[in-house]
Amino acid sequence: MSPMTIEERLALNKYDVDTEAHIRLNENICQECQPRICLYICPAECFKLRDGRLSFAYEGCLECGSCHVCCDKGAIDWSYPRGGFGVAFEYG
Amino acid sequence: MNIIVCIKQILDPEMPPVKFKIDAQAKKVIAPEGIPLVISPFDEQAVEAALRIKDAQEAKVTAITMGGQSAKDAVKHVLAMGVDEGIVLSDEAFNGSDSFSTAYVLSQAIQKAGEYDLILCGRQAADWDAGQVGSIVAEELGIPVVTLARKVDATGGTVRVERVIPDGHEVVEAPLPAVVTVSSELGQARLPTGRGIVMAARKSIPVWSAQDIGCDVSRVGAGAARSEVVALTLPIHERKGEIVSGETGAQAAVNLALKLRENRII
Amino acid sequence: MSDKFDAIVVGAGPAGCATACKLARAGLEVLVVERGKFPGAKNMTGGVIYGPVLDSLFPGAPGDIPVERAIGRHVICLLSDRSSVSLDFNMAGSGDRNGYTVLRSRFDRWLANKVEEAGGIVAAGLRADDLLWQGQRVVGITAGGDEFRADAVIAADGVNSTMATKAGLRVNLSPENVNQGVKEVIGLPREAIEERFGLTSDSGAAIHFLGFCTRGVHGGGFLYTNKESLSLGVVVQLKALMESNLKSVDLLESFKEHPTVREYIRGGTTVEYSAHLVPAGGLRMVPRLFTDGLLVAGDAAALVLATGRALEGINFAVASGIAAAETVLKAKERNDFSKESLSVYEKLLADSFVLQDLKTFREAPRFLENQRLYQTYPELACKLAEEVFRVDGKPKKKLWQLARQEMKGRVSIWQLLRDGLSARSSL
Ligand SMILES: Cc1cc2nc3c(=O)[nH]c(=O)nc-3n(C[C@H](O)[C@H](O)[C@H](O)COP(=O)(O)OP(=O)(O)OC[C@H]3O[C@@H](n4cnc5c(N)ncnc54)[C@H](O)[C@@H]3O)c2cc1C
Ligand code: SF4
Ligand code: SF4
Repeated sequence: MSPMTIEERLALNKYDVDTEAHIRLNENICQECQPRICLYICPAECFKLRDGRLSFAYEGCLECGSCHVCCDKGAIDWSYPRGGFGVAFEYG
Repeated sequence: MNIIVCIKQILDPEMPPVKFKIDAQAKKVIAPEGIPLVISPFDEQAVEAALRIKDAQEAKVTAITMGGQSAKDAVKHVLAMGVDEGIVLSDEAFNGSDSFSTAYVLSQAIQKAGEYDLILCGRQAADWDAGQVGSIVAEELGIPVVTLARKVDATGGTVRVERVIPDGHEVVEAPLPAVVTVSSELGQARLPTGRGIVMAARKSIPVWSAQDIGCDVSRVGAGAARSEVVALTLPIHERKGEIVSGETGAQAAVNLALKLRENRII
Repeated sequence: MSDKFDAIVVGAGPAGCATACKLARAGLEVLVVERGKFPGAKNMTGGVIYGPVLDSLFPGAPGDIPVERAIGRHVICLLSDRSSVSLDFNMAGSGDRNGYTVLRSRFDRWLANKVEEAGGIVAAGLRADDLLWQGQRVVGITAGGDEFRADAVIAADGVNSTMATKAGLRVNLSPENVNQGVKEVIGLPREAIEERFGLTSDSGAAIHFLGFCTRGVHGGGFLYTNKESLSLGVVVQLKALMESNLKSVDLLESFKEHPTVREYIRGGTTVEYSAHLVPAGGLRMVPRLFTDGLLVAGDAAALVLATGRALEGINFAVASGIAAAETVLKAKERNDFSKESLSVYEKLLADSFVLQDLKTFREAPRFLENQRLYQTYPELACKLAEEVFRVDGKPKKKLWQLARQEMKGRVSIWQLLRDGLSARSSL
């Protein structure tokens, strides 16, 4: 089986994306942060570096909680999406 | 005021495209087992239209759906939004019904449900996009129909509808009882509240069979279908990209406009 | 409508559904709130329910439970980068079975249905946001902007439990206590699965991997058979993952490329990708299990047994859910939901396999911190097997000589002995 990009992986899942983000970052903290562990830890790669800045997109989130556990800088205001929103696994 | 809303469950339009499968031989869509059906978005807006009327005046809203095992989930969802009662119409005999048979079954159920002033439907089901059921229900019941509503006001004995037309809207009035089909321009349907969800989960939902609503079974199901699916194919998505450039931004825009004109897109 | 219930259960996973099922059957008015659009929508697991725990709730299990396959073959497989050594316990042919594979999106929906059949109310698509307090006592929850009251609240809201955290029963998770799992469901025809894994039509296989699957990172891999798909995944300790600068999805990709695994999944198509955390801190991580008006069950209470081989969480969730229900029933008799009254819960768990197994394996998490388990030993095993089985025309050596030769530079005899003793005492 050929390797898949993260986008291809996430495209297999069904999402009901809420209009508001369920995870918010304190950008000031993230700007100063090294080594930005969230870049490696997020299994949906919601965290990306763009022109040296950390950008975050909640839409593909798999709701695992890893970023919340691993960021020790207190930059993440984390919650699950509102009821009914977010990913819905077909198999699980 | 008694309002009845007809709702239909469809394959989830948010479903990943790769999961969409058909059986071309049997001309049937194969619903993936793990992705529950949802209410057609236009029907959800019809429910919203009903609830907006109910927000403003004394009204009772009843939702009716024809469907299988999961039809109750559709009813629960609209109960959670604020609908008062829900009825499921389920019978082997209904399987394979086309727009005509479906409208007949719905109109039988509407008559059994009791008094009605206003019947709301989505402008079309977002799966087959036929857009016929609302009008045929009106025909069956012998009452007027106004299609493509973006705003519905019902007071006294009339319904006042802002009706979407290609270059704006027109205002149409009809005497009640009447059928109105609702378009997406009505705006977002409301989300269920916490209390609504719990109340809906508690409610028992009656299931009516063909016999319960006095259906003439020769008029329903695949056998009675007056329309036929000739072929069913999956669209092939071709992604062709072309980058239109120009010396300056403005020049690029002009080139783009020319390209679009060339291809008769504008 | 009165918004007061006998009990409110947060989360319609195995823990929550077991609690609610038992309470509803006893005639209590139970409300289950589940944030997923439908029960199971948010839940992922490796896939094996171990032991007979479902029988107590559903006599004659599996019966109509939507299980995928009954396990007739358990395999432990050590991976080097290009070969593998397995211990294969095969009872598939004898008809004996132990455990079932499940797909949670379907299984949890079925469980929640059983709750409804028993008279419980399942409100899906509703996220519990906070606890309602009266002084020191939990008296309900808030959800979707509304308040719901109950004599007892059961937090069965899984590994990231908001409820147990808000109740102050536990602190936030820490990276050394939780593992991250990523998983693919890979569609494959039934016949191909049965042929490749040597199975009969109803039996299934559970393969656990150590070694190259995590490229030496603390964790392991799994491959389970479903009816017409495979569940393939990698589970790694978050702390080790952070230190490795690797991504779990990359581990999953290279795991799929491993020659041993590649053959199993050949020709398959990935139909889902998911991720989930799982508590792995063992007994030391288990928080206080109750307070006035509140009980914590399943993953929310970190009741998971991780021995490096398999993960047992679903059976623990169900058993703790049942114990929570029994506790509430007793409290209801006394009409006393204080923490003194609810302390029965801990006793019930201590008498069952839930806390007993966690006690027996209390040292396992420490043992599993040993880096050699994830690289040195799997590689050593493969090397050794290669030397034993390869006939290359050169004079042969005895097994012990081969072992010494392969150990050189990787691990000393003393380390090996110490690890062996440590394994003996903790596993
Ligand atoms: C990769 C991986 C592999 C595993 N393999 C196995 C295995 O093979 N065998 C095994 O026995 N165990 C396994 N486990 C562990 C097992 O999955 C868990 O222990 C088990 O699912 C715990 O059940 P639970 O009911 O406590 O929690 P969950 O199954 O997590 O259920 C919690 C429920 O609560 C809901 N919820 C959460 N917060 C809220 C809220 N605020 N409001 C409303 N609802 C909420 C969630 O949506 C969810 O439905 C594995 C875990 C992982 C991650
Ligand atoms: S989220 Fe945390 S780890 Fe990531 S960049 Fe911000 S502060 Fe750093
Ligand atoms: S919860 Fe998990 S998937 Fe979502 S952003 Fe955090 S790490 Fe990524």
